Amino acid sequence: MEVIDNILNGFAVALSWQNIFFVFIGVLSGTVIGMLPGLGPISAIAIMIPLSYGMEPASALILMAGVYYGAIFGGSTSSILLNAPGVSGTVATSFDGYPLAKQGKAGKALAIAAISSFGGGTISVFALMLVAPMMASFATQFGPTEYFALMFLGLSAISSLSEGSTIKALISAVIGLMIASVGRDLLTGTARFTFGSVNLLDGIDFLVIALGLFALAEVTNLVLTRNKENKSKESEVGSLRITKQEAKEISGPIARHSILGFIIGVLPGAGATISSFLSYITEKRISKNPESFGKGNIKGLAAPEASNNAATSGAFVPLLTLGIPGSGTTAVLLGALLVAGVTPGPLLMQEEPNVFWGVIASMYLGNIFLLILNLPLIPLIAKILYIPKRLLISLVIIFCLIGVYGISFNTFDLYLLLGFGVLGYVMRLLSFPAAPLILAFILGGMMETSFRQALIISKGDYLTFVQSPVSAVLIAVSVLSLLLPIFKSKMKKS
Amino acid sequence: MLNSMNRKVSIVIFLLSTLYLFYSYQIEPSPFAKIDADIMPKGLGYLLLILSVLLFIENKEETEQEKAKRSLTKQEVGLLLLIVLFVLGYILLLEIIGFIIMTILFLTATSRLLGYTKWIRMLIIFVIFTLVIYFSFNELLGLSLPSGILPF
Repeated sequence: MEVIDNILNGFAVALSWQNIFFVFIGVLSGTVIGMLPGLGPISAIAIMIPLSYGMEPASALILMAGVYYGAIFGGSTSSILLNAPGVSGTVATSFDGYPLAKQGKAGKALAIAAISSFGGGTISVFALMLVAPMMASFATQFGPTEYFALMFLGLSAISSLSEGSTIKALISAVIGLMIASVGRDLLTGTARFTFGSVNLLDGIDFLVIALGLFALAEVTNLVLTRNKENKSKESEVGSLRITKQEAKEISGPIARHSILGFIIGVLPGAGATISSFLSYITEKRISKNPESFGKGNIKGLAAPEASNNAATSGAFVPLLTLGIPGSGTTAVLLGALLVAGVTPGPLLMQEEPNVFWGVIASMYLGNIFLLILNLPLIPLIAKILYIPKRLLISLVIIFCLIGVYGISFNTFDLYLLLGFGVLGYVMRLLSFPAAPLILAFILGGMMETSFRQALIISKGDYLTFVQSPVSAVLIAVSVLSLLLPIFKSKMKKS
Repeated sequence: MLNSMNRKVSIVIFLLSTLYLFYSYQIEPSPFAKIDADIMPKGLGYLLLILSVLLFIENKEETEQEKAKRSLTKQEVGLLLLIVLFVLGYILLLEIIGFIIMTILFLTATSRLLGYTKWIRMLIIFVIFTLVIYFSFNELLGLSLPSGILPF
């Protein structure tokens, strides 16, 4: 059994003492950063990247993956305790989690969240193990045409699924592609949009954009809310005990929404946010007493929690097997991988089985760590919520500055970082979503290369993109997803 | 005609796309390329142009929630601008004065600006934080942060 060999090999990688340490550091720092309202998984990963400089690729990826699911987990804690989700994927968690906390059952709510997340994480890692190899072997047959279509689908999906105006999301995506076009052209070496500056010849580093658009822009949020300290009466966590009856009650939702979350996580554009909402709504719809939802129903807590963690693992399928991120967060994760010298794609599994299987195995370990960390230590960890914001703000800014300075040792990048911070803030003010921009920026280079390669092969015939059946289907789906919002608004009117 | 924010923004984006297009036409052609380096930029430029027109036509009313994001007091805007100035100063002086001094200065100045008043506690935290970062970068990661005017 090749699969079993691979998994055992993966565990051998994940269980080396240093990788155990990195999983632990990853989930711990992810939890802590994710818990801080305002700082989500994107910022968490971006802030942690400088730590991975010079690490073994497998260890770097293990660390970053830990940060990713740790951040989603941390978001739940602040959702439950403060009704202030640190991460958009945990908004649905607050619907029933916060009412439970208000009833003095914060401990119980946190325990249910931890167990549901553990269930969701573990079931979906199992699914990841089964699905990823199939996907990778299918994708080895892809040529530039199919790749281009696939990335196009990813971009259009995230644009049509983001909140608010689709046109604004598309503008964000196009601007991301434009920023990606700065620097030396990958195929001909021609300098583009460098305005004679040597600093721009290699293009703009993705970390500059990720930290600027997300972390720095989020700092402004912290500044404006600095007077509202995170103090609430619910800081008494209370007992973590769950009765047998309750355990039985949540087992159904956990199983259902782990699978649902995983499937949604695999799809481009969707992710923890959409999956958790969908799970919440589904659970409410099939419930015998839907009116108890929103008032502290434990099923309404278990469903989104299992789902958002499962979606995070699901998002690794396209990332690892196709090298294509499906969301802003996985785009930053991809950037982190490239920094570490790993190029994800269908060949990763064959060429670097240690990295591929090591990461998957580390997720089992990470889920166990999350459970251990969060159950007994929750009251302790929750104290992080009480760090005065006034101190936190300047520390976050310094983290961003050092992170960027550490890549190039060039202050030019720091000015760029500040510029992107301002851009991110302005985008927020004008309701332009930032995730399509970062995703487009990460995909830009690859998209352009495959676009031009496909055209070179077809001798300049644009029809090549609809002649291959795979790419024709992908492009049709993308176009449909872009038209979807228009139909929706028409339907609403009529 | 320009009464809504979205329309004003669409004009800015329109101008941005023409500027981008102008520079795309300046890209030097490569003698060997069959599909050259300017094809994608030109396409993107026109795409953004179309999208800016669509945004203008769509002219969707902003929701109250969207508008509320922009209601900042002058004081808060001033505060944000001051922080930006502090960051600029930090970047400008980082390589001259050095990481340790500039970081402690920046952290203290920003936290004071935001109204944190416990001086001693703050200084202890920031000095320890800065030294830990400095030495872990220099010793553990082998990346040397600028020492500036300090001898180490």
